[in-house]
Amino acid sequence: MEILKISLSDFLAHVNKKIQAGDSKQVGVVPKGSHFVFGELDEAAQLCLDYDVTILPPKKYFQPQREVLVKYAPKDASSYAMVNDCENLTLIGVHPYDLVAIHLMDRAFSEGERDENYMAKRDCSVLIGLYPTRGFEHRFSASMIDPQMPYKVADLMLIKLDDNQLALEVVSKKGKAYLEGAAVAKSDLSEAFLAQARNKVKDSQAFPLGPDKSPAYFKEKYEHPVWEKLGEKCYSCGSCVFVCPTCYCFDVRDEVELSLASGERVRYWDGCMIESFAICAGDHNFRKERGARFRHRVFRKTVTLPEKYQVMGCVGCGRCAQACTADIAGPMKVIKTMKEMN
Amino acid sequence: MGNCQCQSNTKGSSIYLPEIARITRKKLMTDVDCFFEFEMEKRPLGHKYGQFVEISIPGIGEAPISISSAPSSSKKFEMVIRNVGELTSVIHGLNIGEAIGVRGPYGTTFPMDDLKGKSLLYITGGIGLVPARSAILHSLANRNDYKDITILFGCKDPSQRIFVDELSEWEKRPDVNFLETVDTAANSNWKGNVGVITTLMPKLQNVNPDNTVAIVVGPPIMYKFVIMSLHDMGFTDDHIVVSLERRMKCGVGKCGHCQINHIYVCQDGPVFYFSDIKDLKEAI
Repeated sequence: MEILKISLSDFLAHVNKKIQAGDSKQVGVVPKGSHFVFGELDEAAQLCLDYDVTILPPKKYFQPQREVLVKYAPKDASSYAMVNDCENLTLIGVHPYDLVAIHLMDRAFSEGERDENYMAKRDCSVLIGLYPTRGFEHRFSASMIDPQMPYKVADLMLIKLDDNQLALEVVSKKGKAYLEGAAVAKSDLSEAFLAQARNKVKDSQAFPLGPDKSPAYFKEKYEHPVWEKLGEKCYSCGSCVFVCPTCYCFDVRDEVELSLASGERVRYWDGCMIESFAICAGDHNFRKERGARFRHRVFRKTVTLPEKYQVMGCVGCGRCAQACTADIAGPMKVIKTMKEMN
Repeated sequence: MGNCQCQSNTKGSSIYLPEIARITRKKLMTDVDCFFEFEMEKRPLGHKYGQFVEISIPGIGEAPISISSAPSSSKKFEMVIRNVGELTSVIHGLNIGEAIGVRGPYGTTFPMDDLKGKSLLYITGGIGLVPARSAILHSLANRNDYKDITILFGCKDPSQRIFVDELSEWEKRPDVNFLETVDTAANSNWKGNVGVITTLMPKLQNVNPDNTVAIVVGPPIMYKFVIMSLHDMGFTDDHIVVSLERRMKCGVGKCGHCQINHIYVCQDGPVFYFSDIKDLKEAI
């Protein structure tokens, strides 16, 4: 892998050139109040390469909160037409745990029946990763992700060396093409120095189980009282699943214009913590207890996805722990509560 | 969004784009269940026994419905649609020649090929008969492939019976053992068995559980009791096949609505050997 150096100001100048060229939307991390979000950059100076976590993960660019799948003239089945809107997009400053989450989403949407609505958006994207420069109290990603896995989807990785200097790891052809015309220089940095720079920020907590041991451990805890104990505090608001970078469940609804001239079949984010999620015809709800829904969500991260992909289904970003009003959603909370109860 | 080079919008493939099928026959079977025959516009549906399709009306929505006809190379297929919501209500109001959207077929199938040479015991409750019928019709049309065929059918009351002409045909056939019951027969002139479906099972003295496979399809409440009775008769879990109902919203293993732990019912099911899911919590 080629390693390059670039000054922060030259990098931002390059991003500005991309914005002005206008052939690819440049999206990066920008401050929002005391938090951070991924948003479109009007100028590179808005870009923040020093943040703890974004409110929403970058999944919204590949599986938008609202996405039209099919359009039609109402009641006329012969009018069905597919919709697949995508655009060239560069995401700048994606932390490694979010890159691993995108890798998991890629597998979910490409394996089996291939979802072209998601995959087209991914095909049109360039991902520029960034090693974290700030800690985040709820993060435990170092214990959840394989450090090589972000490179499965990243096109470039940024390592902040100091306030003015970046190291650039060129991972893919797309990444190399992105840098065309940038004021980069060959790197003279040793691997030992880079390794230290990548791991400058340490998590304050660690999940005790990896993808090999987690499924068996949690399966044994299926009947554990922890699910009811934490679940009974749940407001079923869905915050934990909406902020989760590996939650991709969705609902599909039909929406018709007031004029009744045209309509759309639309995909929306949905989640297993919402009470109506598993209701069938005849109003039979297969997961009506809050504890059962809470367990289902945690099992998806700690059992289902690890068994399917040999990767933890939680990347340890800590967003759910921060978003949860009842303070129950974080996987670390589950582990700690189980210990207290034993 | 004009600047995209990937040309995905012109690739023309989407797993969410329905095809067209038109109504060719329609007959009300109960006050809420309507039989439909549809004809695909462009190609045979190509379904197997026990599969389902996502049917839709533009502007109303989409829902999974079981296919009731036996597999065939024709473009025609049959379904029974229960009027339980907005979509099914609109479909009940459609006329011959009108079109619906169809995606699929999806899901696993009754293992009719593997069951050749064995005896079959169908246990069906209510509109559970609808998907089971795709296998029943196949086994009756290929009668020599199977040994004894027993069909049990139960429903809430006589007014809820579906496929009544076929039920009486099956009753008359010398090569089929057909038994039927209703949960209650009050205010009717029903002369047959009364009681839940498990009350029929002690009458099955000649069924040999070692060489018989039970195919069980019915409402969620039915499975537990039927499986307990099958165990009492000596059936092992690998001789019991079930079809599970869940909210199969996308049909393609993505949306998560039908998920039971690691199983996506729309892809890994709806048809399962009970031995494969008996330890799956929340399944039955």
